Formats: sequence, C-alpha cells, structure tokens
Amino acid sequence: MKSATENVPSDGQFTLKVEDLWVTYLAERGKVKAVRGVSFTLRPGETLAFIGESGCGKTTLGLSLIRLLPSTAEVEKGHILYRRDTEVMDVLQMNDRELRQFRWKECAMIFQGAQNAFNPVLRIWAQVLDTARSHGVTNKKEIRQRMEDLFRLVQLEPERVLRAYPHQLSGGMRQRVLIALGLLLKPPLVILDEPTTALDILTQRSVIDVLRDIKEKMDFSLILISHDLSLAAELADRVATMYAGKLVEVANVWDTYYHPLHPYTVGLIHAVPTLAGEREELISIPGSPPDLIDPPKGCAFHPRCPYATEKCRTEEPPLIPVAQDHEVACWHWQQVQEDGGQRMMVYSEAKAG
Amino acid sequence: MTTTSLAQSTPSRRFDVLYWLRRLSRNFILRRVLMALAKIYVVITLTFFIVRLMPTNPIEAYVNELIDQYGFTYQEARDQAAALYGIDLEASLWTQYLEYMKNLLHGDLGTSYRSKGTPVAKMIAKFLPWTLFSVGVSLLISFTLGMLLGMIMAYRRGSVLDHVLTTIASIFSSIPNYLVGMMILVFLGVQWKIFPITKMRGAMSPGMKPELSWAFIKDIFYHATMPILTYVLTTIGGWMLAMKSNTINTLGEDYVTVAKARGLKESRIITSYVGRNASLPLFTQLAISIGFIVGGSALIEFIFVYQGVGQLLLNSINYRDYPVMQGVFLVITIAVILANFLAEFVYGWLDPRIRVQ
Repeated sequence: MKSATENVPSDGQFTLKVEDLWVTYLAERGKVKAVRGVSFTLRPGETLAFIGESGCGKTTLGLSLIRLLPSTAEVEKGHILYRRDTEVMDVLQMNDRELRQFRWKECAMIFQGAQNAFNPVLRIWAQVLDTARSHGVTNKKEIRQRMEDLFRLVQLEPERVLRAYPHQLSGGMRQRVLIALGLLLKPPLVILDEPTTALDILTQRSVIDVLRDIKEKMDFSLILISHDLSLAAELADRVATMYAGKLVEVANVWDTYYHPLHPYTVGLIHAVPTLAGEREELISIPGSPPDLIDPPKGCAFHPRCPYATEKCRTEEPPLIPVAQDHEVACWHWQQVQEDGGQRMMVYSEAKAG
Repeated sequence: MTTTSLAQSTPSRRFDVLYWLRRLSRNFILRRVLMALAKIYVVITLTFFIVRLMPTNPIEAYVNELIDQYGFTYQEARDQAAALYGIDLEASLWTQYLEYMKNLLHGDLGTSYRSKGTPVAKMIAKFLPWTLFSVGVSLLISFTLGMLLGMIMAYRRGSVLDHVLTTIASIFSSIPNYLVGMMILVFLGVQWKIFPITKMRGAMSPGMKPELSWAFIKDIFYHATMPILTYVLTTIGGWMLAMKSNTINTLGEDYVTVAKARGLKESRIITSYVGRNASLPLFTQLAISIGFIVGGSALIEFIFVYQGVGQLLLNSINYRDYPVMQGVFLVITIAVILANFLAEFVYGWLDPRIRVQ
C-alpha cells in the first residue's frame, strides 16, 4: 500500500509523519478499532484539516499524536515521526520525560470544549507560569511580555485576563486564552481539536478570525480536527477526509471542495447547506457510520455508497495518488470524477426526500 | 443654631442611619455573626429546658446515691441533700431561665451543684484543653493521612493495594468509636499488654507541670495515645473513601487532561490540579466532624479515663448537675458553629468560585 509520503516534497521535509497508525479501545463488546492504518505527512508551515462525521476517529488520532489517549485505548502499531531541524523522533518511543517536554513545547494540543480546560482554583497567570516553568522558562518578565502580546493577538485584554480566575471568563474568552497559551512556547506544531464547537455562532466567527490572523503572523504547522467543513475550508491548505478510522481522501483544499473524488467526501460536502443555497434542510448521507468493533469487509463505506460493486464488498481500496496533491481510496474514483459525484448527491437526496 | 439649619440637617442624618443600616444588613460577615448568635441562643434555650425535662433532678440523684452507696434512709438522705445543695428547685422554670440568661449575658456560667461553689467556667477551662488537644491532633492526623491514602487509592485504583485499603477503610469507618476504644483497651492494654493502661490513665502523669518543655509535650502525647488512636482509626476511613472518590472524579476533569497536554510536571498536577480540587469538599466535612468528635468524645474519655470535657459531661449527666451540663453543651455548640464559620471562610479562600465579592 502506498502511503501519503508520495506527497512529501523532494527534499523530504516534514514536521510530522504518521505511518500506519492503528489505535483500538477496549470495550465490553470487544476491541473498537478507532484508527485503522492511518498514514499522512504534515509539511512545515501547512495546515492540514481532518474532517469526518462524529466517531470516525478524528479526535482519537489527535490524542494519539501527543499520546494522551485514555487508559482504555492502545496504540497497536505504527510510527509517529516528529522532526525538529535535523532530528527525527518517534513520539511512540519517547520516555515519560521526553514526552512531557514534547507536549506543548513541540506540539500544543488545543482541545475541544475549552470550557473546563483551566484549573478552577488558579488564576490564569498562575497557570501560564505553570506551563512556562514546566518547560524551563523562568523569566517572569519575559513570560508576561510574551503572554500579553499573545493575548492582544487573540483580542483579549491582557491585564484583566491574567488576573482572572477561569470562571470569570466567558466560553469564547477561555477558548482564546487556551489558543494564546498554546502559542506561548512557540511550538512548531499545533493541533486544534474542534476549536469552535460549543461556542455560539458569533463567538465562533471571532475565534476563526483570530486563528486565521495567527496563522498568517506566526510560523507553525497546524492540524485542524473538525466536523465543521466551513471552518476547514477557511483555514486548511490540505484536507484529509476520515471515515471509519481510515483516511479515504487527502487533497488540497480546492480539490476537496470542488472536485472531491471519494463518494463519502462528496456526500459530506453536499450535506452542508450553503448560505446562498436554495436548500434549507440538511441532506445527510443515508445510513449511519459503521460499527468499529466489526467494520464492514472491503471498503468500509460500501453499505452507504451508490457506486459500490462486488469488488468494494470484498477488497479494501488503498489510498493512492491520482493527481498532483490528491490521494483517494476508492475503486471507482474515475466514475466519481466523470459524473462529478452526481450519483452520490442524487442518492442522498432521494433517501432524504 | 437656626431652625432652618436644624431642619436641613435632620433628614440627612436620618438618611445616613438608614444607609448604614442597609449597608450593615448587606455585610456578609455581620450577617453570619448575627446568624451564629441566633443559633447559639436557640441551643442554649433548648438545652436549658431539655436538661430539666430529664427524669429525676440533682437532689434525687444525690439522694439515690446516698441510699445506694451508704445505706442512708430516705429521710436522712433527703436532709443531707437539701443541706448540701441549698438551692431552690421549686422556683418556676421561667424564673430560673431568666436568671440563667441574665447571668450568662454577664459571662457567668453559674456554679456546679455537685462540687459546691466551683464555677462552671473554671471546670470547663480545666477539662476543655485536653479534649481540644486530643481531638485536634487526631483530626489533623486522620485528615492529612486520609487524604494522602485516598489519593494513592485513586491513582492505583483497581490494584491490590486499593482493594485492601478500601476494605479496611469501610470496616473501620463503620465501627462505633467506643467499640474500637474498648477493643484497644482489652486487646492492646489487657491481653497483650502493649499499652500499660494504668500508667497511661489521665491527661498527664501526676506531678507533671504544664510548661513548654519536651518532657511535658512527650508526656501529654503519651497519655493521649489511646484516645488519639481511637479517633484516628474511626475517622480516617471516611476521609480515605471520600478523597478517593473525589480524586477519581477530578482525574476525569478536562483541566487535568489539558494540564498533561501542557507538559506540566506530574508532581505539580498531583498537588495543585488534582489534590487541591479533590480536597475542596472535604474541608466542609472537616468542620462538621469537629462538632461530632467533640460530642462523641464522652465515651472515649470515659473508657480511657482521660480528663476531657466529655468525661466532665458524662459525670454531670449522672449527677444531673444542670449548670455544668449546660456549660458543656454551650461549649460544644460554640465549637461547632465556630468551626462552620471558619470552614466557610477557608472554603472561600480555597475556592475562588464561591469567594465573597
């Protein structure tokens, strides 16, 4: 099986390279295969978005990158290679000390629902200090200066916020505090997990603007995990579509939204109503995501796919490059390309109507 | 002063008074103090009447004792008792109550019926320090040790250590303290002779002078060993179990996960992120338990012949020594209210979310 390494620039530069990652959860009914052989490469400075329905393994993938999975989860195999300058380290091989230093200093993960992300009994400033000191930064003046700059960048009043306790800040403010704190140590890699979920629509807008602004002004690679396709469209350079723990399509943002080649991506994008569009109701993809304890044989999407043939039921399609910066895992991608995904859209609408 | 200026000044002064009254009624501390005083008043009143509702009275109790122990006839005993007490028990309850309240307001707790003429305040001052000492030390030990063990259990949940400690904690927290006290006395004291119980009796060795010396401190700890052991054994289980469940809950909080993602040192996460938040609810329980332990010290102090306020209470109940009983109950009430009062401030200091603005 070819992997996404195909798309690595010829000089082989990458910030993060994940190879054949498998993650399972132990449940009462058996092993939940949440991530099944994911490989991808994150180039320096780029934004890669992971999209997909709830339960497709996006968050599990994100957590496994900093090894913060719950104790019921296990990384069965794979490599997570992180590169800093000329040094390449496997995150999965790090000992506790290396891992602790890797977290936040090299890779900051900003979580979904930052509502409870802060210790309720400590002031924001104390938690900023905690973070800096844990990574050997002890100059209070320097920390203060940097944090004030970052707070201004995310449109927060530094004086007030630093003095505040978490409960004195609104949800949107806390989310922005966490984003600013994420950038405190200038990490080369940032993971944003559903940064706008649980925020109202206006706050979402301001958080997105802040993120775009930051991304323009600062140099880091970004992994964005979201089910919000418009957010991904605004921020990402490339988009990776996940389905049932696998990557089914990886393409640059333009191709993903205008020329998707996997029926699932077609359905997903078709499901989002456009503001100017004539549709008012959501057109969902018929059927539901598969059971990850016992995923369907062959292509995991075949039970919900109008293009499915006998081959799809038995053989699993590999993720192959089909164009410049475009990989897809589908036996019938050419058909999708020919009809522009029409069959998938008609199928969705027929089932919905 | 002209009439006009007087007319002008009066309304403004009255306005000021109202303004200050309103400010005072909104004052958090003042409100709490007034509430506390009201509670104390209610308890004093209830105690006064309930104590007198108990069957028999001080004279009857003394008469019965004289008949039982010294073979007095009823008439002899009655005369003796009347001569000894010289109190008017026939006065109406209301008169007695008003008299008592009047004295109390002057800080006078009255004198003991039994040890004639001894002021109740003096008796309490003699016995109370020992209870405060033994109970205080026990609470400190069992609270800190219980929290530590509870956190260890939570971090090692599911392990053999967790199962063993949980079982022990459940057993000890469900046995009444006087049973544990008697078992210590019988097994450690009498059967296996680990504790020389006759030497350990009392709050300190005879001839020991209260002073700030190593010998004195060692001596009072030596004499308090068995009561302290009993209190610790019977209360530590509760702290352990409460701390364990709080810690497990806290470990599931987002901010702990985020703290790990932030690469904080494990020691910092355990103390400031998990420990501090998990222990918050225990401080409220600590305040409540102070009252319970002071109240429950009577039997323990009786079992180990320890001269604390519990011992005093037990004796005064036996003799129906009303003023002493009332005095001790008053002290216990004040202790509980004060502890709750303090707990509220400590809690506000520990948890900014409920801090008073």
